[in-house]
Amino acid sequence: MKFVKKLQESIENHSTGNVLCINNTFYTYKDFAVEISKIRSAIANTVAESEKLIGLVTNDDLQTYASIIALWFEGKAYVPVNPSTPIERNTKVFELTETKYVIDSSKTSIYKNQTVIPSSTLENTEINLEPKEVSGDDLAYILFTSGTTGLPKGVPITFDNVQGLVNAIDAEPEFNLVSSDRCLQMFELTFDFSVVTYLFPILGGACMYTIPKSAIKYFYIFKLIKEQKLTVLTMVPSIINYLRPYFPEINAPDVRYCSFGGGALHSDIAREWSDCLPNCKIFNYYGPTEFTVYSGFYPYHKETDQKAHNGIIAIGTPQKDTLYLVVNENNEEVPTGVTGELCLGGPQITPGYWKNEERNAISFFTREEKGKQERYYKTGDLCFKDEEGDFLYVGRADFQVKIRGYRVELAEIEFHAKSKSPKKVNMVALDITNNLGNAELGLAIESDEFDTADIFEYMKTKMPDYMVPGHVRFVKEFPHSINGKINRKELRTYFDIN
Amino acid sequence: MNKEEIFSKVKEAFVTVLEHDNFQLTDTTTADDVDGWESITHMMIISEVEKSFGIKFKLMDLMNMNNVGDLIRTIESEL
Repeated sequence: MKFVKKLQESIENHSTGNVLCINNTFYTYKDFAVEISKIRSAIANTVAESEKLIGLVTNDDLQTYASIIALWFEGKAYVPVNPSTPIERNTKVFELTETKYVIDSSKTSIYKNQTVIPSSTLENTEINLEPKEVSGDDLAYILFTSGTTGLPKGVPITFDNVQGLVNAIDAEPEFNLVSSDRCLQMFELTFDFSVVTYLFPILGGACMYTIPKSAIKYFYIFKLIKEQKLTVLTMVPSIINYLRPYFPEINAPDVRYCSFGGGALHSDIAREWSDCLPNCKIFNYYGPTEFTVYSGFYPYHKETDQKAHNGIIAIGTPQKDTLYLVVNENNEEVPTGVTGELCLGGPQITPGYWKNEERNAISFFTREEKGKQERYYKTGDLCFKDEEGDFLYVGRADFQVKIRGYRVELAEIEFHAKSKSPKKVNMVALDITNNLGNAELGLAIESDEFDTADIFEYMKTKMPDYMVPGHVRFVKEFPHSINGKINRKELRTYFDIN
Repeated sequence: MNKEEIFSKVKEAFVTVLEHDNFQLTDTTTADDVDGWESITHMMIISEVEKSFGIKFKLMDLMNMNNVGDLIRTIESEL
């Protein structure tokens, strides 16, 4: 696999340079190579050749990053679980993937049903960075996103998928990381956006800067920009929404690239943010987990390129080898200028949700393109293409929302809230915009007031914290629209959170 | 305004944002000690404190704020 070989070359060629800065401690590529070698040796000695999916507890340390590369060198996939997510959900992920081995750098591991490889206390071994042969169809990772039935949904990504992403980014002359770059890595490794924030810095021999889990991330990011003089930022737009009151105090001339993704980028804030970064190119990336992080981007410029629809910056054009198709309800292509659901085809498309044929039948379809059967993923995002060939984002087609960059199915929250409720009453989860322009979750309950402490305790054991609603309101009778559906828009007005 | 009054007003801001009052605020209290106090609620608490004291923090001060004591000292310097 070409990109895996390139990872090896980069790690060898940059051995004296820094790969990671974690909580003010720097680690070199040499340190990285040592950890990778130890972990892959432990994998080779412990794990059967046929076991391909290996759990990974995503701590903020050198070993966790080294584990990803070690697994790839061994031709295996990582199944990441966040240590701050309830164990029950993480166990579910391992059950669904039949994961028998977990790499865990924690002092003591809480995983009892798997064989644990304790990556922080392994014996020294000789450096070995020679990757094993892999097939392009083999998996590189599986990420789990929020699902509608209370079960998380697995998105498997193959080595070929990742190679497709690398080819597309390499083909983009405007974006090129080098060994002197200092890059922000603010994402949980369970979040697909993290793949681009570790993969491209390592391929370029650059240094990544992580955010300690206990830090107030917005201020920590600013501190890194200011004190470490970061040159490459990859962020979700909500970060700058929260920093916005302080923009006049931010001037970061060292930043040369700033990529956004994982949510709508609004043009007013993009313009103001751009003033803080006088020497920077801004990219508005688009792409779902199912299409290996990125599928395309719009190169924003506050004076020359500021195309937007309803104040949301364009998502631009598909990247190399990717096909965009906008369709109606019957999966038929709609003309330029007409809004429909955006579908993606090309080498980065996932083979399909993990063991979920029902969902796969809904989310994927094939159609003939230039005499070839092309498989498409339906993103659930409403878009249209303009006369110049740029794609513009309109909104979500269903009730999936983005909270702090994470995709959340409102139905999953309702499912868990209702299942623990002492009263069988109607509950609706809603996304509510706070006065900083970010979405927060509210839970509306159709009932007289009652104690919800147990429901919330229960939800905290079932879902990651960003999915647990921060606000609750009791409404005697839910408002309904003419066609009998709950009027979510009106229900939102009960949440006067600002 | 004495320190006690500042503490009491700060506590009000925390209660407004976190929607519970199950915590004690002292100089050494950090986000780890208070349920629900994390990155996002921190930003809201800061904006609530600014509103109730009629002050505006500087990013440089916020960047180095590690506990409630730091917050109180910064408020004092702004009053």
